[in-house]
Amino acid sequence: MDVARLRASFARIAMHGDEVPLHFYSDLFLKHPETRTMFPVSMQAQRAHLLNALVRIVASADNVESLTAFLQDLGRDHRKFGTLGGHYEAVGASLLTTFAFFAGDAWDAELEADWRAAYELIASVMTAAANEDEKRKPAFWAGTVVAAERKAFDVAVLTVRTAPVLDYVPGQSVAVESPARPRLWRYYSMANAPREDATVDFHVRLIDGGAVSMALTAHTAEGTSLRMGPPVGALRLDAAAGRDILMVAGSTGLAPLKAILEQLAASRQMHSVHLFFGARTADGLYDLPSLEKLAAEHPWLTVVPVVSAGRFSGHTGPLPDVLMRYGRWSGHDAYLAGPTDMVKDVLARLTAAGMPASQIHVEDFGWSEP
Amino acid sequence: MTSDAWYDEQSRLSPAVLQEVTFPLTRWGRAGYEVDGVRTFLAEVQAEMVHLINERASLWQEVQRLRRRILGKENGNDAILFGKDDAHIHAVRILSSAQRTADRYVADAQAYSGRLTEEARVRRDEIMVQAQQHADMLLDEAQTRARAAAVAAMNHDEPLPETDQERRAVQAELAYLRTFTEVYRQHLKIYTEDVLRTIEDWESKERAASRDPAVGTASRSVHRRQPDG
Repeated sequence: MDVARLRASFARIAMHGDEVPLHFYSDLFLKHPETRTMFPVSMQAQRAHLLNALVRIVASADNVESLTAFLQDLGRDHRKFGTLGGHYEAVGASLLTTFAFFAGDAWDAELEADWRAAYELIASVMTAAANEDEKRKPAFWAGTVVAAERKAFDVAVLTVRTAPVLDYVPGQSVAVESPARPRLWRYYSMANAPREDATVDFHVRLIDGGAVSMALTAHTAEGTSLRMGPPVGALRLDAAAGRDILMVAGSTGLAPLKAILEQLAASRQMHSVHLFFGARTADGLYDLPSLEKLAAEHPWLTVVPVVSAGRFSGHTGPLPDVLMRYGRWSGHDAYLAGPTDMVKDVLARLTAAGMPASQIHVEDFGWSEP
Repeated sequence: MTSDAWYDEQSRLSPAVLQEVTFPLTRWGRAGYEVDGVRTFLAEVQAEMVHLINERASLWQEVQRLRRRILGKENGNDAILFGKDDAHIHAVRILSSAQRTADRYVADAQAYSGRLTEEARVRRDEIMVQAQQHADMLLDEAQTRARAAAVAAMNHDEPLPETDQERRAVQAELAYLRTFTEVYRQHLKIYTEDVLRTIEDWESKERAASRDPAVGTASRSVHRRQPDG
């Protein structure tokens, strides 16, 4: 397999941008109409996913370890969509047709054989991981909403009983599908440490124009069935670090950090924890009462609510400013989750203040971000 | 291949545009162009290049097809205008175009829903600010009236011995608080009733306007597994 040649040919194909996945899916749906129902109505995001995955695979073709890990994740993740062995063949055939179409006059028998071999390799890693996973875990977890509470104008907290029990590490998240928006999956973090009764909490913020968040906040009530994918995400407590902890949560970014807090509370740890919880307005601090209760029970926990706009009796102003004025953090372990801009800003400020990158843990959905 | 490359000519970048393009200058009289303006233009140029590349590829396919047709004729083969492959590619183009249209509809609907929630958010913020101002006003009024009541209680009689003065101060305080609570409670009651009425009104309108039949039916469809999975 001539990797350099494959790369050059892919560069030429990728020049056509969105046309490539568009052609691919049309070809696939024409040859295998039954696969259409596995995808949402709008394919815009889906096409971007496919192209990104292809770019990533080609870019890391010579880093076997990271490529394998990526493909294994991808294979496991595809189980929840109902992907079967036969689908891989169909996808491979349409992918080759598409590449041939866009490769122009550079396409020849040798290149085609190389692409075929490359795809077979990719598909075999993905299916092997999926098959291995199937022995231990279901393709998806069924959930029933046991409580749905509007905590703020645009935030709902859902408590969901899962079957079977969802085995996860505090800080992780799962893809959630609402019956009102079939085949659209969005990632949400479990907001609690694993419980005996197999229930998990999700903090859902209504995104303007967001199809799934709208369904989850407005059209979800006790009894609604949801589906969940396998737990993913690398954000987790570094229990061995032995340093004091700083947590910075923006809005519903609180969810994974609250799960870690509960884990800490159960572990009788001795380090101090500062949790900065920020929102735009005071009523955006939707979970403050329960955090204050937690702080009252555990002297090692300090909760600092911050409001960036509007009236508030506590700290006001941009969260990163309040955080940096408050104290020196370079000796702490930091856990950050929230809106991308806030996380980026806090990350930059902490780094500038001398906190090593190894001590900063950030919520990262990586490739699977919807 | 690109199905909409042949129309939509209006929005295409033309040499005339390139000749007349100007960029906004940075403010405060410093030399240079504004970054956003240049970036937007670069994005347009990029989109145009993709268009051109796709058009070229499409034309190349067409040339190949015609070439095959001629070759077929030369070999005494009664050439068909559309070979099997051509028909398939044609179908792919039609399906792609339909998908693009569907994407556009969904995107439009989402943008619309986004605008609605954004407007609702703004409206809610306004109501909250008004309510806060109203509450402040109530508080001010209650305080003023209570203060007046307290002063009235203080100035009730001629000077008194020390302990009586203390008693009177306490009485004044009491009068203040009593009036304050009374006024505040009354206003609050009226205001709350008003707010509740508005909410109920709004809710019933909302219910009438947006009964969403999709929710009920969709909850069944989620359990339907894929045809072969």
